[in-house]
Amino acid sequence: MTTQSISESPLRKIYGRLGLKDAVKSRRHLSDYLFKIILGMAIIIIVSPFFFVLFQVASIGFEQVFGTGPGQGIEFLFTFPGAGLEGGIRNAFVGTVELILLASAVGIPLSVFGAVYINEYTQPGKLRAIIEFTSDVLAGIPSIVFGAFGFAFLVDYLHIGMGIVAGSLTLAFMMIPTVLRTTQEALRAVPMSLREASLALGATKWSTTWNVTLRSAFPGVITGILLAIGRVMGETAPLIFTAGNSLSVPTEITGPGSWVASMPYTIWAYISDPRQYLQEKAHGTALALMMMVLAIDVIANLISRKVTRRLV
Amino acid sequence: MTEESSSNPLNQIAVKITQSLKQFKDSDKPGRIDSLGRFGLFIPALASTLIIILILAFLWFESVPIFIDPVGGPGIIVSPTWDPNRDLYGIGIFIVGSLICTGIAIGLAVPLGIGGAIFLSEFCPMQLRQPIKMIIEMMAAIPSIVYGLWAYIVLVPIIKYNIAPLANSTTNGLSVLAGGIILAIMLLPTIVTISNDALQTVPMSLREASLALGATQSETSRKIVLSAALPGVGAAVVLSLGRAVGETMAVLMVTGNSLQIPYSLFDPTYVMTSIITNQLGYAFVFPLWRSALFAVGLVLLIMSMCFTITAKLFIRWGMKTRGYI
Repeated sequence: MTTQSISESPLRKIYGRLGLKDAVKSRRHLSDYLFKIILGMAIIIIVSPFFFVLFQVASIGFEQVFGTGPGQGIEFLFTFPGAGLEGGIRNAFVGTVELILLASAVGIPLSVFGAVYINEYTQPGKLRAIIEFTSDVLAGIPSIVFGAFGFAFLVDYLHIGMGIVAGSLTLAFMMIPTVLRTTQEALRAVPMSLREASLALGATKWSTTWNVTLRSAFPGVITGILLAIGRVMGETAPLIFTAGNSLSVPTEITGPGSWVASMPYTIWAYISDPRQYLQEKAHGTALALMMMVLAIDVIANLISRKVTRRLV
Repeated sequence: MTEESSSNPLNQIAVKITQSLKQFKDSDKPGRIDSLGRFGLFIPALASTLIIILILAFLWFESVPIFIDPVGGPGIIVSPTWDPNRDLYGIGIFIVGSLICTGIAIGLAVPLGIGGAIFLSEFCPMQLRQPIKMIIEMMAAIPSIVYGLWAYIVLVPIIKYNIAPLANSTTNGLSVLAGGIILAIMLLPTIVTISNDALQTVPMSLREASLALGATQSETSRKIVLSAALPGVGAAVVLSLGRAVGETMAVLMVTGNSLQIPYSLFDPTYVMTSIITNQLGYAFVFPLWRSALFAVGLVLLIMSMCFTITAKLFIRWGMKTRGYI
């Protein structure tokens, strides 16, 4: 009775599960055990801020984004801010979407075509090394430096002026390294035999690249594009000096009519304001932005788990 | 004669161009598309290089005035007084502020991050590994302004009411410590992800050999796996350093933006990214002021380039000595 029941008792089971039985064998086993416990605590500390941030933003912002009252729920995203900034954040929501669309229209072709060229048309050598190196450097440049550059080059030197064009071009520059490197990675994973088969059938290099290589690398390319969009969607610093701010959506291509608000900028502007209801709106905007970014991230993950995120 | 012309590089290029033009004329439609495409793809490939050159050129030309002006000069990098109204453009204070914030963040994030990466790669139960990785990747995706909002609303009051009294000091919470903590939180995903990848590439045979010799699991992971993955972990740390120095919005919101060198953890400070964000909007009509701000940007750019190059050197070291990163 005794041995059997003790070894089967739940306490004993947990004891065995945790490995404490081994831990008390010797000093080395004990330090091994403690080391694992400390590392386990480290991982808990690492992931806990995610839940803290989510909880804080959701606890105040949930009413705004999912509530049913006037100006809440879907109305929050689709009404313009009125007097005293009451009302929704349609200017910021539409502004972010427009900025991202324009930035993608410029940035994605540039980087995908660039990656195709260096991966399919060049031999490994100086040119490829230079382009890879510069795009890695570009990936590491602080976002405020992009903002200052966009301001000096696009707004001031090219006289585009603040607005949607300058803002989205600056974002497009920021997208290039991520998309270029992930596309390159995806192209590299396409087996050489596919290309050889297509070429052997008499296809030109061009049609092989478009119909065979890019098509089989497509999930990887899409992942890279989504990751880049998720990254630039939350950028504030590059937009402060290039996109301006506005209470409505842009109606012109240049001039003050083209100034555009964005969700991150709106969060910043509202959180710096002492008025209570603006703080709540800031949380609501943050929740909406976070949900958009995380949804894009999850979709990217679902499409392709295999594509490693190149951070170097 | 012919030999001379073919050895001249310019002539060689000319011959190449005429040859490909002739080929273009002779080929059928798919062939023409092919050769047009080859040329058309070449231009986007140069985009990233062109942008880097443009960024360097513009930051350099914008910051030249302050470096050659008598009131400025190269000395501004170490001079500590910033007062554009009195023509004092010392940017040393911002560099110090950035370095202190980064130092705190790295001090917190590197031990935690490497520990977390070891746990994730060596000890983590299989069914927990994927969710934890997913959460960490999501943390990397959260916009910095959202972290800033959280730090401003939650972390700053905690420092003001709970942490500062422990050290017998009073503060309004906007401090280097707040900046360092929020930076550390933002760096952790980078460090954990890259270090974890590096640890995973260590061959299983190394671990097996160590365990077979009687080492415990913790000894194996500390002394064998970690040292085998050292180049990758080093690259992770250096890359996160670059992020820490360049982080803008979250730090701007919680460091207090006060023109002083912090002497304690609870003093406010002013970092390089914040001064550009706060003042470029007003300063662009004053040539010297604006130029000084672009000089700060140039310093930032050079620092981030150095970090990227160092990370690349770490990776090259790893490839050379170990054959993997």
